[in-house]
Amino acid sequence: MMSFLEIVLRVAGWLVLAPLLPGIINKVKAWVAGRRGPPVLQLYYDLGRLWQKGVVLSTLASPGFIAGPAVTWVAIFGAAMLLPLGPAGAALSFRGDVLLLIYLLALARFCTTWAALETGSAFEGMGAAREVSYAVLSEAALITAVLTLSVHTGSVTLATMLEPAAGAGAALLGAGLFCVLLAENCRVPFDDPNTHLELTMIHEAMILDHSGPPLAAILHGAAMKLLFFALLLIEAVVPVGTLSPFAAAATLAASVLAVTVAVGLVESLLARLAFRRVPLLLTTAFLLCLFALLVAWKGGAA
Amino acid sequence: MLFVMSLGPLLFAAVFGQLASLLASRRMPKLWLTLTLAGFALALTAAVLVLATGIEWEWRSAFPLCGEPLHLRLDAISALFLALLAVVGGAGSVYAGGYWPDRVHPLSAPAGRLWWSVLVFSLFVTLLSSNGLHFLIGWELFTLSAYYLITLDRQRVEVRSAGWLYLGASHVGMVCLFAFFAALASQTGSWELGPMCEHAKLAPLFWLALVGFGLKSGMFPLHVWLPSAHANAPSHVSAMLSGMTLKMGIYGLVRFSGWLPVPVAAGWTVASLGVASAVLGVAFALGQHDLKRLLAYHSVENIGIILVGLGFALVALTHGDAAWGRLALAGALLHVWNHGLFKSLLFLGAGSVLHATGTREMSRLGGLWRAMPWTAGLFALGAAAISGLPPLNGFVSEWLVFLGLFDATVSHGTATWTAVPAAILLGVTGALALACFVKVCGVVFLGAPRSDAAAHAHDSGPSLRGPMLLLAAACVAIGLAPVLFWPAIARAVGEWKPAWQGTDAPAPLLTLGWVHLALAALATAAAVWLWRKAQRSGFRRALTWDCGYAAPTTRMQYTAGSFAGIITEWFAWILRPSRHEQRPDELFSASASFEEHTPETVLEHLVQPVGTVVMRVSTAVRRLQQGKLQAYLLYLLVGVAGLAALVMSGDGP
Repeated sequence: MMSFLEIVLRVAGWLVLAPLLPGIINKVKAWVAGRRGPPVLQLYYDLGRLWQKGVVLSTLASPGFIAGPAVTWVAIFGAAMLLPLGPAGAALSFRGDVLLLIYLLALARFCTTWAALETGSAFEGMGAAREVSYAVLSEAALITAVLTLSVHTGSVTLATMLEPAAGAGAALLGAGLFCVLLAENCRVPFDDPNTHLELTMIHEAMILDHSGPPLAAILHGAAMKLLFFALLLIEAVVPVGTLSPFAAAATLAASVLAVTVAVGLVESLLARLAFRRVPLLLTTAFLLCLFALLVAWKGGAA
Repeated sequence: MLFVMSLGPLLFAAVFGQLASLLASRRMPKLWLTLTLAGFALALTAAVLVLATGIEWEWRSAFPLCGEPLHLRLDAISALFLALLAVVGGAGSVYAGGYWPDRVHPLSAPAGRLWWSVLVFSLFVTLLSSNGLHFLIGWELFTLSAYYLITLDRQRVEVRSAGWLYLGASHVGMVCLFAFFAALASQTGSWELGPMCEHAKLAPLFWLALVGFGLKSGMFPLHVWLPSAHANAPSHVSAMLSGMTLKMGIYGLVRFSGWLPVPVAAGWTVASLGVASAVLGVAFALGQHDLKRLLAYHSVENIGIILVGLGFALVALTHGDAAWGRLALAGALLHVWNHGLFKSLLFLGAGSVLHATGTREMSRLGGLWRAMPWTAGLFALGAAAISGLPPLNGFVSEWLVFLGLFDATVSHGTATWTAVPAAILLGVTGALALACFVKVCGVVFLGAPRSDAAAHAHDSGPSLRGPMLLLAAACVAIGLAPVLFWPAIARAVGEWKPAWQGTDAPAPLLTLGWVHLALAALATAAAVWLWRKAQRSGFRRALTWDCGYAAPTTRMQYTAGSFAGIITEWFAWILRPSRHEQRPDELFSASASFEEHTPETVLEHLVQPVGTVVMRVSTAVRRLQQGKLQAYLLYLLVGVAGLAALVMSGDGP
């Protein structure tokens, strides 16, 4: 059983560290472009400021417009609690928790898109439609990735599945999951978090009408989701669970930094894909995960 | 054994309650409702007793009905379906009073009550009878009464054609069932039903049952009758049809795959059909613009999920009764309940929308949450449940099926070959269903009203809201405390396969229940807190920002078609949408339009062409029949000559 202190530390870690990631990505992008860029802690300032601001609500919006971001945040937080952190394990672990994790992300998606459709705006409808459509493919890739880990370890409990990582197929799985990370977190080349052209956006288009504390909840939730996918990717590739606690913590920190820098580099060096090409890239991610599954099943079974 | 003693009287009272309500249906709606509800309450008590204690009730009488002695039985499997019937039927009966009242429908409302009673009575008979002949009689009776319920509003031509299609399709299935039961009776020498797994030669009969029962359950590609029938029936009937009578097909499959030996290929056939139903059902649903038709296609999807579970249970039988089969079957059976509950909830919600606005066309709705907050909230709950989202009941059953599939994958046997694609496609189905229900909720209840009818809607009264609240409460209960419902499912699984008996949960359902509770509490707390926080920091209502557009109109909103456009494009190979486009031809074009319609592909591109060919051949053959005596003499002569030639050419004995 986990001690109270450990739980507090874990919750605090997720809450406090998550907003660091978008800051690092922006810093990397600024360096590559030769700019100074916003401070790494910019998102913290933004969150603090938004939390104190008032709310402008669309005349069409129902209470679900504010409940949506709240439930989204809770769902992502729940998924984060289920994710084991190397030798420290998860806050809660049981057989089949991996499926709950995937469906918690679906719950988050349901609530975000619900809130987006509250406003009756065409832009937000557009963003929501893209979000749910591309999620179909990224969910297929995610389930395949999870199956790979299951087949490799013979378990359906996340803590056991992630302990030895994916073995021989790790590179394939890592590539697939990195694509899923980019798609699920609406980064280039799937989406452009910086653009101000609403027609080309997914996530940003969905939250155009949000303001004040609900927007803060959305931004913090998105940061947690990014950290969540980064950790999932790392633990699927690097056998963090087998390391000593100190080494594991150091590895996790270094790897999260590496993934974040990689996202920043991708964002600086690639252009956003045309929307009709997005399914192709996601299908590639799915195929990468599928090959990893074949490797785990046929290659590593003996 | 007080329980066993009380079961018989309870069930007989339930059946007689239904019969009495039949008599009261014409003139006395209040008495009819009381008797019907009493019948359901008694049946529910009996079912719960069986499911809670695991005792089986069997009753034989020498009294012959249609030449066969009466033999009734209530075991865990039939009790599972009986309990669902009682809940869905009870909700539907109350809803009918407010939705299809006598003062609006003076003729069809009493008829509706009559046929409703007949339907419920015949469903009781089918579920309880343990004799092939009586099963068939009950089955035919419920098929016919469902036809009269579907065509209650038969002034409308589309209702009549939907009813006709239903009747025709059902009887194709009926023919298969006749063949199935007749062959069974001739092989075993009696119409008696019961466990007979030792007769290995009965295995091929499974294919007849699969077509007969599969057609009733709406499995792809035998679902052609389902969308139009469920869309055009009155909503309480749609709820009953989707919630319960589709499950009768599943009941037949579960019942007879448990009692009879099955062919080796049965498992993966059922699982593949299930996967096809799940993915294509939801794909067709995404292409629909009619709210009730969309819900009907989701029934195909959910039946698919149930069939995947059942299919893998059958696969497990050929793998030495692997434990994952138990999980898959438990998931399938729990999904029978869950789908029954949330689909009737959604159909009743759609009924309230139809009642308030007079249209099922989603592109004419919108913004209904303001006028109909109860309906919107309950429909949203049903939508989240059917999308399989935690912490509701849909997730629990899908989770069990998924666990079964994952365990089958991990087993590294030949089952892995089917389990991997099934698991991936089930995940895809979940994501597609989510997309579809976000679309429905968004287009119907959120945003701005797209027509006057939607702008002047009103929320439904207590007789419409009460049944929906009951169904929603059941969804929440199974979601938050799945472990309470586990013994019932476990008993039904044990009844299907005695080797899988035992009430211990194979998966940490208790933990899942606690997690769901925590999630629900946390989500509610967070929503309330954020709402308060927003209120404290100051609320300002303003026009939707829409990137600075100052004069938005309701027509600028995303519609159902545009929302689903990306996905329906992926599935265009099977949806085959028909498009009519009039492009704007000049700079200030006066008119431009775009219309898209997704037909029932299997019906229009497969069944109808075959039907046309059959009709052509029949017309051609009819020329032989012309009423001239000379012609018939000629046929006789040719026939005799042919026979003579056959005799001459043969070697002879």
